[in-house]
Amino acid sequence: MKLKSHIPLLVAIGALICLPLFIHNPYYIHLTETILIYTILLFGLDIVVGYIGQVSLGHAALFGIGSYTAGVLFIHFGLPIWASIPASIVVTAIFGGILALPALKVIGPYLAMVTLAFGTIAQILINEMTWLTEGPLGIKLSKPSFMGAAMTEAEFFWVVAAITILALIVVDRFVKSQMGRAFEALRDSPIACDCMGVSVYRFKVIAFVISAGFAGLAGCLYAYSEQYISPNTYNNELAVLFLLGIIMGGRKSRLGAAIGAAIIVLLPKLLDDINLFRIVASIIAIVVVVGASIALSKKVTTFRRVAIPLTGVVGLAIFSFWLNSIADWRLSIFGFMILLVVYYLQNGIVGFAKGFYQLISGKTKTTRGGAVESADDSVSFISAVANKNIGAELLSVDSVLMQFGGLKALNNVSLSIKRGTIHGLIGPNGSGKSTMMNVLTGIYIPTAGTVLYAGESVVGKTSSDIALSGIARTFQNVQLFGEMTAIQNIMVGLHHTFKSNIVEIALHLPRYKQEEAEAHARALALLKFVGLEDLANEEARNLPYGKQRLLEIARALALDPELLLLDEPAAGLTAPDIKELLRIIRKIRDSGITFILIEHHMDVVMSVCDTVSVLDFGQKIAEGKPAEVQADEKVIHAYLGT
Amino acid sequence: MLSIKNLEAGYGKVKVLHGISIDVPKGQVITLIGSNGAGKTTTMRAITGMIKPTGGEVTLGGEKIDGYDSHKIARLGLAHSPEGRRVFTTMSVNDNLLLGAFPRFTGSRPKGDIKNDLEHALEMFPRLKERRNQLAGTLSGGEQQMLAMARAVMLNPEIILLDEPSMGLAPILVEEVFKIISNLKAQGVTMLLVEQFAAAALKVADYGYVLENGKIATHGPASKLQNDPAVKAAYLGGAGGH
Repeated sequence: MKLKSHIPLLVAIGALICLPLFIHNPYYIHLTETILIYTILLFGLDIVVGYIGQVSLGHAALFGIGSYTAGVLFIHFGLPIWASIPASIVVTAIFGGILALPALKVIGPYLAMVTLAFGTIAQILINEMTWLTEGPLGIKLSKPSFMGAAMTEAEFFWVVAAITILALIVVDRFVKSQMGRAFEALRDSPIACDCMGVSVYRFKVIAFVISAGFAGLAGCLYAYSEQYISPNTYNNELAVLFLLGIIMGGRKSRLGAAIGAAIIVLLPKLLDDINLFRIVASIIAIVVVVGASIALSKKVTTFRRVAIPLTGVVGLAIFSFWLNSIADWRLSIFGFMILLVVYYLQNGIVGFAKGFYQLISGKTKTTRGGAVESADDSVSFISAVANKNIGAELLSVDSVLMQFGGLKALNNVSLSIKRGTIHGLIGPNGSGKSTMMNVLTGIYIPTAGTVLYAGESVVGKTSSDIALSGIARTFQNVQLFGEMTAIQNIMVGLHHTFKSNIVEIALHLPRYKQEEAEAHARALALLKFVGLEDLANEEARNLPYGKQRLLEIARALALDPELLLLDEPAAGLTAPDIKELLRIIRKIRDSGITFILIEHHMDVVMSVCDTVSVLDFGQKIAEGKPAEVQADEKVIHAYLGT
Repeated sequence: MLSIKNLEAGYGKVKVLHGISIDVPKGQVITLIGSNGAGKTTTMRAITGMIKPTGGEVTLGGEKIDGYDSHKIARLGLAHSPEGRRVFTTMSVNDNLLLGAFPRFTGSRPKGDIKNDLEHALEMFPRLKERRNQLAGTLSGGEQQMLAMARAVMLNPEIILLDEPSMGLAPILVEEVFKIISNLKAQGVTMLLVEQFAAAALKVADYGYVLENGKIATHGPASKLQNDPAVKAAYLGGAGGH
């Protein structure tokens, strides 16, 4: 079964290896080699673009740094390729770390600008540091030697092909490990990521470092492949081209990276030759027309929606025959094709093909993890809290002040939470309940006051450190990792159970495999506990709202918390769902976990809470047993109503 | 006013609604209740044009609107107070309300007296009147809910779709929201109300539909549904409500 799904890949690899045996023209071998090298780079760029969701325009520069590391080692020290490959990877990875530093402060378009600046600076430095890089003259290299003689184009091609396959395996293992999950989690919800004990700060840097490592490897191979490198190659236009490769091929896909690489290498060549262009434009037109007619006949689209792309591709094909010379039109056609692809295939070619196949074949979403497994009942999913000192103080909040400008969102609030109890926190909307949650989990740093958890101050600690010390939470406006499946969401919560490093992941050493298997089993058990076992492989964003809330609780439990903060868990739930929620809360409490529960459904508060505190305008206006609070005049006036 | 016949809709190949029919007569409040994942939000999305129905038809005042874009449907007089409020957080309360009347400014809806309607809306929601120049993002959750409803009123609509207006609100505010809904009803506003808090929804509504697994399981006058043992057990049960 597993082997069968790998057959297309194995055939592709086989074809790749045999290529030089059938095609003797060194030009085509070299062209394919370039595609492979770009593919390696795009594997790395995809980690930044597809997985952590940032735009990098600095990858041309990183590619250049890789090339120049190899070039400098070659002309100054005469080092062989076997030494310069690891050196290029390490040096470029270090620069990737430097590039990542601003990524911690700025995001989105601002980060793109920063990486663009990085690219420009790197290119200028390579140009100016003549003593090291030979400046604008560039560096000439010769092909690495093998058994005393310089390698032929075909021999070097095999080296590149082998390294590409290795890179494919390694990158695939990375993104499927706890690290890949951390990357996706920080993309989908940075705040929840930190609150699961996965430091956004750390993993952004790691993503950039790994990504740069691949760029360095690609750069090194490129230097030997071209045998000549000069600063102009690594310009910002190349950076945009790399980005286009990912966008057109399809993000979060190794096949997408390969297709993207092929497009960016071949498209300029294609536009050089009018006959080739005519053939390809016709093939594209036929493919699109056939695809569209299938879609129309199956009634999965309307004629209006396909009219423009159809006219576009057919028009392009006709235009290609009308043209006599392509030279003047090259850039316009290039731009037009990019426009069509980016506008109509927003998920890239691979993403579109997958969606199209599902639509046509009528298969519902193929799940990422395969068939739904059943949970092993013997797996203990809630680790019973060791210190069962029920009744002792677990969390003490003392006169906390949280000021935003002139607004005191929390004004001298004190709380004392006892171990093993459920402490309700109620109050009108805007009274400071969620602010309190954010103070307790390190998202806000209080203006004044102390927060002691198990005797230690949490003020000033990062959210991920607080999470790892045993405080887990859910969010009022659900913060799941939307593009990840239900089980992967929980496995992000289990991130703290992984000790294996990148070498162990890359080589699939026993420790990593065991950790992965254990986490998987526990995640399934947690899903079963909240009744979501059947939805394990469904993307979180596709779950109904009520189920999303339950999934958040399961994910929080994965942290092995001692204190669990639930922010309006019953909001949006119907009566039967609420009964189920109450059952789950009670069961968790019985294992010794302490709760703080923010809730507006008074029957939930009344039926499970041991103590209730009431906030209004940032101040505590009442506290006591649920029944006492419910009878309190001030509470009725401010919150309950008549 | 609004009529839905055999509506089918879903996401990709996953069908969520399997042919539901709902009728909202002019001047009445109709409620749609059901558990999580039954298809309530999908119904709303299909009506407002956020997703295109794959079958059946939706008519508004006799005009077939399925397949139309959302903005066009809004211009025909269908106002939507969405789940999770979605107010324009960086604009003032006043501006939010004026934006609700946008199609009236551009002439795609009868203009009327916008200024007067604005004051009227603020009278109806006194909490908003106090905060009319405040940014909507600084309002509490309850106030934002009021704003979303008031914004819908500003369209001078033929019908208002209310999606989960009580979600995440303090009990005292839930009471207020339902009071406002019955005020609107008294003024003759037609409404389709989707609500988890089924007991309160059935109290204010004239007629109710119960949605289960993308199909209408049962429907009837709200007073009758309130006493229907099956509905009681599934949606009005002990732990529900406030």
